[in-house]
This record gives sequence, C-alpha cells and structure tokens, in this order.
Amino acid sequence: MSADPFAAPPAANGRAPDVFKRGGWVPMRQYGEDEAVDFAVVGTGAGGGPLICGLAEGGFSVVGFDAGPYFRPLEDFASDEREQDKLYWTDERVVDGANPITMGGKNSGKAVGGSTVHFAMVSLRFRPEWFKSRSALGYGADWPLNWREMWQYYTKAEKALSISGPLSYPWGPKRPRYPYRAHELNGAAELLARGAEAMGLKWTPTQLATVSAPHRKSPPCVYRGFCRFGCSTNAKQSQLVTFIPRALQAGAEIRDLAMVGRIEIGPDGRATGVHYHREGRWRFQKARNVAVAGYAIETPRLLLASATDKFPDGLANSSGLVGKNLMTQSNQAVFGTMAQEVRWNKGPPSLSITEHWNYDDGKDFAGGYCWMAQGPLPVEWVTIQTSSRGLWGQALRDEMEKYNHQVGLKMVGEMLPDECNRVTLADQKDQYGLRVARVTYSWGDNDKALIQHALGQMQTSLEAVGATNIFRQEDDTNHLAGTARMGDDPATSVVNADCRSWDIPNLWVCDGSVFPTTGGVNPSLTITGIAMRTADRIRILAARGEL
Amino acid sequence: MTRDTTALAISGAALLGLAALAPTWGRPTSRAPAVPARPATPAATIDPGAAVRAARRMNRAAGLIAASVLADSAIEHYRGSFHNKAMVTPLVVATLSLAVSAHGNADKRPVAHRARDGVYAAAAVTGLVGTCFHIFNISKKPGGFSWQNLFYSAPIGAPTALTLSGAMGFLAERVRDTAPGLAPTIAGVSAGRAVAAATGVGLLGTVAEAGLLHFRGAYHDPFMFLPVTIPPLTAALIGNAALGEMRHRRPMTRFWLRFTAALGFAGAGFHTIGVARNMGGWRNWRQNLLNGPPIPAPPSFTGLALAGLAALGLMEDHPDG
Amino acid sequence: MADRYPGYDVLSKRWTESWNETTRQVIDRRLSVPRQARFFSAAEWRTLSAVCDRIMPQPKDRPPVPLPAYVDQKIAAGLLDGYRYAQMPPQGEAWQRGLAALDRAAQDAHGGRFHVLPPDQQDGLLRRMQQGELTGEAWGGMPCKLFFERRVIPDITQAYYTHPVAWNEIGFGGPASPRGYVRMGLDRRDPWEAAEANTGERAHARRKNNRVG
Repeated sequence: MSADPFAAPPAANGRAPDVFKRGGWVPMRQYGEDEAVDFAVVGTGAGGGPLICGLAEGGFSVVGFDAGPYFRPLEDFASDEREQDKLYWTDERVVDGANPITMGGKNSGKAVGGSTVHFAMVSLRFRPEWFKSRSALGYGADWPLNWREMWQYYTKAEKALSISGPLSYPWGPKRPRYPYRAHELNGAAELLARGAEAMGLKWTPTQLATVSAPHRKSPPCVYRGFCRFGCSTNAKQSQLVTFIPRALQAGAEIRDLAMVGRIEIGPDGRATGVHYHREGRWRFQKARNVAVAGYAIETPRLLLASATDKFPDGLANSSGLVGKNLMTQSNQAVFGTMAQEVRWNKGPPSLSITEHWNYDDGKDFAGGYCWMAQGPLPVEWVTIQTSSRGLWGQALRDEMEKYNHQVGLKMVGEMLPDECNRVTLADQKDQYGLRVARVTYSWGDNDKALIQHALGQMQTSLEAVGATNIFRQEDDTNHLAGTARMGDDPATSVVNADCRSWDIPNLWVCDGSVFPTTGGVNPSLTITGIAMRTADRIRILAARGEL
Repeated sequence: MTRDTTALAISGAALLGLAALAPTWGRPTSRAPAVPARPATPAATIDPGAAVRAARRMNRAAGLIAASVLADSAIEHYRGSFHNKAMVTPLVVATLSLAVSAHGNADKRPVAHRARDGVYAAAAVTGLVGTCFHIFNISKKPGGFSWQNLFYSAPIGAPTALTLSGAMGFLAERVRDTAPGLAPTIAGVSAGRAVAAATGVGLLGTVAEAGLLHFRGAYHDPFMFLPVTIPPLTAALIGNAALGEMRHRRPMTRFWLRFTAALGFAGAGFHTIGVARNMGGWRNWRQNLLNGPPIPAPPSFTGLALAGLAALGLMEDHPDG
Repeated sequence: MADRYPGYDVLSKRWTESWNETTRQVIDRRLSVPRQARFFSAAEWRTLSAVCDRIMPQPKDRPPVPLPAYVDQKIAAGLLDGYRYAQMPPQGEAWQRGLAALDRAAQDAHGGRFHVLPPDQQDGLLRRMQQGELTGEAWGGMPCKLFFERRVIPDITQAYYTHPVAWNEIGFGGPASPRGYVRMGLDRRDPWEAAEANTGERAHARRKNNRVG
C-alpha cells in the first residue's frame, strides 16, 4: 500500500510516483525556488497537463503546481463512491443565484491530473460552426480560433489520449481514424441506440478516453463502472497517466499539495512568480511566465485574489471580464424502469451517444445538446431519486430496489454566456487563509428552452424502448467555462487566441475558462487541444523573441 | 431447427463444397512442358498405405480444428450464457468430431467408417447452421451489420471452423476409402487437389476472422500482423498447388505450411501472454479468459496447415492424379 | 419486492478479485464507524436518530445501519461537500440549528419533542419541512426547505447507500477491482453478480447468490 498521498507530497527528493508501477518512482527534475523557471503552470488538469508537457518537450523549464495530491491509481483508488470523494474539490465555494451550481464531482477535481482523474472520458469534437457561434449561428460569441486548425489539434489530442472511438462518425466533417476501436455497448447504451433508431435519429458508440485494447502500460478497460470515481486499472487515459508522465520525462517538475494563492507582479507590470502553500508554509517560486490552468472557478479566483495597486480589479482584468460569463452545461436527464435487467453500472457510464441536436438547426432556441447513456452508482442514484422525485422513507427504499432495472439518458447542453453569471470573491476564508470563491448562476430563457426540448426528446426515446415509471431530473449541471474568455479584442476578452492575457504579456490562461461559448459537448477534448496549440504557439513566439 | 433452416444449411453446405472444389475443375494440362514428363506410374507400384497415411493425417487435422472449436465455442458460448439452448450444439458436435478424429487416427484400415462419416457431415452442417445463427444475432443488434456488431456480437466466421473440421474429416474418409491400387479421388477430382483447395479457402476464412478481431484490437502489438500476412501467402501457395502442376515437389509450399502450423501454436502462446497482460492477469482469469484474446482460436491455423501438408503428401504420392 | 436478492452478500466477495486491498480497508473503516457522537449533543442525537428512522426506515430483522453515526462522522471529520448555499450555514451549524428548530416545531404542533412523537406525526413535520412550511426564529434565517434538501436528505440517504447492506438490498455488484464485468448486455449476469429472485425462483436465486463469493 502506498504512503498516504495527502500526508506529505510524494513528488519530492528528485522523484515522482510512477503511476504504472506499484510503489515505483520515476526521476523528476527539480528547480530551485530562487532560479526563475521559464513557466510556472498553476493546475495540472485538462489544460495544465498538456501545456506543461508541450512546454517541457519544447525545451522550457517548467514547474506545474497542483493543490491536489499525486495519486497512484493502482493503489490509492478504492471501489467506493464515498471514499473517492477525495478526487473532488470539496473545499467550500459559496453558491447563489437563481440556479446555484452544485460544485464538486460534477465539475471540480482536485488532484494531479485535475478533473480528468474523475471525468467520464467522453471526448467529443466541437461542431466547426461553434467556433463562430455569433457570425455563423447568431448567438453567443465568436472564438478567435479557426476550426480547421482546431481540427488538427483534436487529432493530436485524440492520439495523445488514445481515444477509443467508432470507425465512422455520423456528424461533422471527416476526421482521421480514432487510435482504438470503440467499446462494446452495455445494456444501457443499447437502449439509447434502440430509442434513437425508433426516433429516426443517428447514434454512435461514444468516443472515450479509455482504451479498448492494451496500450503501452495501460491494460484494456475491465468495465468496472467506477470511472467517475477514479480508474484503478489505468485503462482511463487521464492527464495523470498520459501528459504528466511525458512531462516528467521531458524535465518538468510537478509540485503536488501546492496551493497557489497569489501571482506576484513586478514593478514593470509583469508576473514574477507565484506564492504557494506547501507542507505547512507559504513559499515563492520565481518564474518568467505564469500560466493559470485552474479551471473556471479557481482561475478567476486566483486572478482576482492577486490584485495589486497596479491592478486593483485583479490581474488581466482591464476588460472587467475576469470571472464573468461563467457557463456550465445543462445535465438534465430522464430515467425509467425496464422489465429487463439493465445493470447499468457495468462499464463506462456513457457508451453510446447521439449528437443529433448539435447538428440539426431546426430548433427555436440557440445552441445544441447531445444525450448519452447513463450508469449511476448507488449513492449518485439515490441523490438523483431524492432530488428529482422528492422521495424519502419506505417509498424511496422501494424505488431504489429497482436499481438493476433502471435506464437513463442524460444531456450535455449548451448554456449561453451571461455576464451576471460569475465568480467573485466571498469574504469567507478557506484553510489556506484565502478568500473563497462565490459562484453566482442563473439559467436564461434560452437555456430553459433548450433543456425542455431535450427532456422531451429523451423522454420520447425512453418511451420508445418500453421504459415505464419515467421521471425527469430537472436540475443538474456539469462542466464549467467562460470566466477568462478568449477573443481578438482586449476590450471584450481576457486572453487572445494564444491564451496570452492582453494586459500582462507573461501571464497566460490555459483551461476551460477561455471558452467564449460551451457548445453542446463535453469540453475536455477541446481544452486539451487548445493547450497543445498554446504550447506550440509559445514555442513559435519564443523562437521569434516575442515571449 | 425449422425446415427452412435445414434446407438453407444443406444448400449452403453443398455450395461450399462446390466452391471448394471448383478450382480443380477444368484444370489445365501441365504448364511446364520443359520438365520432361514422367512415365505413367504403373498402378501396381502405388503405395497402398499412402492413402491411409494421408487420411490419418487429415483425421488429425480435423481433430485439431475440432479441439480448437470445442474450447473456443465453450468459452464464448459460456460468455453468451448459453442464452439459446442451441448454443450447446457446437460443443457436442465438436467433441464428437474430436472423438472420431482420434478414432480415425488410430484406424489403419483403408475403409471409410460410417460413424466417422456421419459425425463429420454433422459437423460440417452444424458449422453452417451456426453461421446462420451468428448472422441472425448480428442483424438483430442496433446498427445491424456495422463494424461495432462485427466486433462484439457473435463472431461471424467462427462456426465455419467447425464446417472446416467436418469437411476435412469427410474428405479424409473419402481418401481412406480408396480402392487398392488407385489414386484417391473425391467426386472424380484428385483428392490432393481437393484437400489443397479446401485448405486454401479455410486459411483465407481464418485470416479474415483473425484480421477482424485484431483490427478490433487496433493491432496494438506488431505481432498481431502475423496471422494476416503469413497465412494468406500460405493460402496462395497451397491454392497454386491445388490448381497447378502436379509433378513438382513443393518445398516452399511445404515450408510455409509448416511455418503456419507453428504460427498457430505461437498464436496460442501470444494469446496466453495477452490474457496475462490484462488487468489482474491470471488471478482474474474468470474475466480475462473470456474478455482477453481467445487462446484456443489460433491453433485452427495449425489444423488447416496439417490438412495442407496431407494434401501435398497426396499430390506427391499420386502425381498423375 | 422485499428481499429481491435472497442470500446475496457483497461482503462475500471480499477476498475475490472483485475487491482489492485498498477497498477492503475502506469498507472495514465504513463498517466500524464509531457509534458515539463526536459532534452532536445527546439531545441532538436523539432527534437526529428519530429523523433517520423516518427518512430511511430500516427492516427490523437485521441490525440497522447506524445512520446517525455516519452523519456525525462526516461533520466531525470535516468532510465538506464542495459548495454551500449562501443562505445556509456550514454543515455542522446547519444540523444543530435544524434539529433544534424541528424539535421546536414538534413542541409547537404536538406538545412533545420530535423523537417522542408517533411516526405519522413525525412524517407530517418532515413533509412540512420539505414544503418549506416550517418557519420561526429557531431557524435563524436558514430556509427549512434548503435544510431538508441539502442536509437532511443527502446526508442520511447517501450514508445508507454507502453501506454494503444497502448494496445487498438493491443487488449492486459492489466493489469491482481488478475484476470488473464481462457480460454487459441486457438480461445478462456475471456469476459474481447478484441474482434476482423472480416469482417462483427464490431458491434458485439463493443458490446462485450463495456461489457469488
């Protein structure tokens, strides 16, 4: 059994855990705090991981900080929902607004590897038009990125993550073959497929970041179904087992259990390094560049908390948009009971998906959504049952007994940016003495219209396969985005297309915060693609002397 | 089994048999006029034991394929929970085919045996019926004949291995049942050519099956290319032997047949490593034996190669045939 | 259907490939949760226990899952949810205030503290809390509906379904590492999964469940 990754940071003394070998270590280069490293990257997740890796492979000196622990999946991950809460950001955020967001396992990880340690591995590409949502589709905002360039970065990301996907994809422009074949459908996924076929909608086995055949040291998925509670076999291709080990090999340092609390700004208005809390005290790492990749709550929190006299409204905030335009995605669902045994917990939760309503513009609302098969484990399932149906007592226990006969369809739906949805600093302080984030959120009319449309469609699909006892989960969200949006105008954005902040040339943001819109798909593959692109762009800029 | 399915099965068997033998019809006369023609061998000097030896080789080949089918279908149908009672059939028939093959291997008499004939014919038919069941199974899944269902539903080509076992065994009986002093023939065609042709077709079918499943495994290990590169070459060579010049010895064909035979067992070895490599290794055998690469499958290549070697033997023993 | 999975016990798989060492340790800790309050006072504990009995009534024919102990443990160990509604105090304070306010409401409505009331009156009070109808200064501004939805329901019901006894009840496969699942399709069961007793098949299902370990 490994030492407790929460007790003392394992990444120390010139070595880091080898996630592929029980009790094993890989050598890790370490940098002194007083020698300025080229890049200090805050966060090692979907955005931070590929950035650290790309920069290190490009010859830069990089230290990646993560507030979370450095897990050894083979040893540290138990097959238990409650125990595995340890993967999530359970430190408090204050939530308000008309539709407060439930923070935690639906949107916030705390570990080396970030939220990719617990995500459901769904790895979808954006619809190309979404990169020009405003000009092509009439809503939201345009991205300063070109879809064709992103198409290539999606391919690189899919290769790096060994995505297992179908041989032909029903929607969007052609894409190269996925590195691994799609997984077998489980009963829950088959029911989505039959429902879609009954409605005349296309469906597909889902592209997942878990391997369907051996890949180097990863064995193929054993279909244990605890994906969102940490993959204990390393079939799942999280950043922890892909980009981070590569980064270490290329000379990066990872500092785990290191909470960055403040970015220091020098007299010339440039970042000079980061203050971080590790092993009981505050420390400072000098850096020539700081990249923030803490995802859409912690990134604006850090930028706002690093306010100085020179930047009283927080760093990179001349537009006033840091923390604003927070977006989550609707994650409502429809559930039912089948006569057959479904046993939906066998395998990854979402083995099939339909993106029909991402590509069909015959809607009277903006934006798109997809829906996917579901397989909640018992604690999550009782949470859904109680919150959706108000059940408790014997009635709840009776309903829960039907567990092995349940079927469900869950959406991932686009929510539109609104400056009123935002992250600010509350007065309450956390265990590090830092002001906690306040997350304010309300759904707009378009969001609600999209949700109702989706619920209707998903219900029709379940009815088509003969489900009974159908009920709707009307309140659930997942994923985050938007709080440091990218654009081509400093007045209306925080960073440019290269994820470089307008105000501070050596301050970067490289995570889902930069999304101007969310699209109707899970964000992780897009975040990874943007991070790989940003690393490439930084190399080009450095070669030109423009860093 | 319904009347329609029976009729379908029998027609299928007949078609397969015809297809296997077709290349030997209207075979050209010698294509190597430069080689001096050997004088016709007097009937009295044909080795009377050669036919039985060849037949027993083919019994062994049929038996090895039957053993592969038995183990493979047992594991796969167990995985399928024997949800259809008919899924027991290939286990029973393959066991019988294995049993009569052992019997035939021990039997040195130059007469066909009625029980062996019956079992082998039943095996051939069962395999075809199984293929129909598997096709039906795939067609019922959402997406029908998609790559997804070819990968994960009942493997479309697997039951034909049982047909191959039955066909080889049936041909073995015909070879054995040669009147003394005559060259073995099957339905008027040289037995060696017939068996060679069946071997070629069988190899190609097995290549397709292995290729499909290795494709599902994304050819993650370069060794996975072996069953789709070596056996096709072997099939071409043995096919050429079936169609072509009778008089040569064929050292290259023989070599590749032996190599293919070895490859079959190597494949079982690779698959064993593959099972061990999955999560939990052999301790998790209850999952990995079912989910991992099928260990009994590759030796069907060996069985086919042995049949091919028997065919070569027949052709060399009876060069006029 | 009561006893839908007769004879099924997730714990019987403890030494199979479905469990690894980390999981065994975690479940052991779960099963040996301290039964004494570390956070709640004795009075609060009594009210809490009565609330647990109504929210998650348990069968009398087996030792009950000690739900108050799990609620207490979560607070005492400082295990947070990752978010807090602006109108809600932190979880410990929320529970204390809520239990006290519930007792107050019980006193006002029926003349006795919550735990002495008959079950139907207890259920009535809980339902009113669920509808947001309990008010008064005892709540200190905390909306009773939020307390019900965000503390009472999740803390108690989730605690129940983290317990192996609940997994047996619903036929959940339980821990699964390194061994996961092979038969993924509809109406397919791996031998280490719970067998459901359909009508007339109870003995057959029980035999299958006895072989699960």
